[in-house]
Amino acid sequence: MAGLPGTFAASLAVLLVGLAALFMATGGGAGFTTETLRRSQVAVAPVSIPDFQLVDANGQAASLHTLLARDGRVWIVDFVYTRCPTLCVALGSVFQQLQAKIAARGLQQQVGVLTISFDPVHDRPAALADYARRMQMQPDVWHLVSLQDAADRRRLLDSFGIMVVPAPRGEFEHNAALHVLRPDGLLVRIVDLAEPDVALAAAVATGSPPGIAMAPR
Amino acid sequence: MTTVRLPAGGLGTAAAAASVGALALSLPPLRTLIEQSMVWHMLVQMPLLVAAGALGAVVLQQRRAATSGTRAGRLDGINRFGLTGFMFALVVGAYWMIPATVDRAVVLPGADAAKIVSLWLGGAALQRAFSRAPAAVQLFFVGSAVPMAVWVGVYLASTDLRLCNAYSLASQITTGRGLVVLSLLAGATWLGWIGVLARRLQPCTQGDGDGEQPSGQREPQRG
Repeated sequence: MAGLPGTFAASLAVLLVGLAALFMATGGGAGFTTETLRRSQVAVAPVSIPDFQLVDANGQAASLHTLLARDGRVWIVDFVYTRCPTLCVALGSVFQQLQAKIAARGLQQQVGVLTISFDPVHDRPAALADYARRMQMQPDVWHLVSLQDAADRRRLLDSFGIMVVPAPRGEFEHNAALHVLRPDGLLVRIVDLAEPDVALAAAVATGSPPGIAMAPR
Repeated sequence: MTTVRLPAGGLGTAAAAASVGALALSLPPLRTLIEQSMVWHMLVQMPLLVAAGALGAVVLQQRRAATSGTRAGRLDGINRFGLTGFMFALVVGAYWMIPATVDRAVVLPGADAAKIVSLWLGGAALQRAFSRAPAAVQLFFVGSAVPMAVWVGVYLASTDLRLCNAYSLASQITTGRGLVVLSLLAGATWLGWIGVLARRLQPCTQGDGDGEQPSGQREPQRG
């Protein structure tokens, strides 16, 4: 029988191990939800996104890496399914704002926006074209693509850390956010949907490292 | 000895059924239930694991009493007044109320296994703690655990944020409401139980000032 001192020592040990486990589970207190943890982890250690075969509204095929690296722009990426009546409409209007801001500030050469559908079975080129019309996409700023091979869906979502869950009435719910990607496919920042300005600033900053930004042309 | 074994048979079946049932929810084909519904995960499987652990602890204790004639467990020495048991249960409970850990248990089999083991042990620890702790210590535990769970439930039910990436907002709201009801029920059950115990033990508590009462189990090797 270790008695009371032993009990206190054991309780303290349980508490310390428990606090250590809680500390690790919350990324050192960075967040209590997977989403906040995902965002803070990417900010600390950017993630390299693998390549995927995509198809656009014209039925044209391209790989994700080719598309990202095409003209040196930094990309703000989001995920939708075009049938989505709720969140993606909000997401769409956020992207419309982004599109307008990029055009207004003349940032077309520096920042592009890319919407990727995670519903490759339904979102074939015709559905994409319809969505692009509804959203009044300007092709020089905003690109819309879907996966060519539906089998890639899970790998695509996993590589970004997106979880899609079925919701009532055949809808999906997913963690929507603005993902800032460099031309080399590195995911450097994840910004909340409510802060498109922050995402835009992050994209501009990513595209022009301090030394280059200051240099006169 | 046979008088001990008879109830142990019924309890043993209940403990095994609860354990197997909770485990089955983590395996196909039932796994889809906890993958798609936060209610099945947090309000069915998790409480079932705790209950299974508590029943398991009673069965193990009775088996020990039958074989070695003592009810004292190996860890009782470092679990005076149930302090360590309550501490363990609090830590485990807090850990599995964090949305990120719930998500991980859905996605990672290793995390799910850790959840099963820790919640079962948490239930066993709770049973040992409640059977040894004086009412004041129990009140301290219940008085911190129940409000914590109610607060988490109210938050789950009232926030617009989807906290678990694995579950829909609708599922989260239902879970939050259920968690409030379940925690309040647990608190009320404890109040009723302690009230019954206090009435039953009233004649004995006269002059019994060592702070070990009221206690559900009498420990013959003591005193």
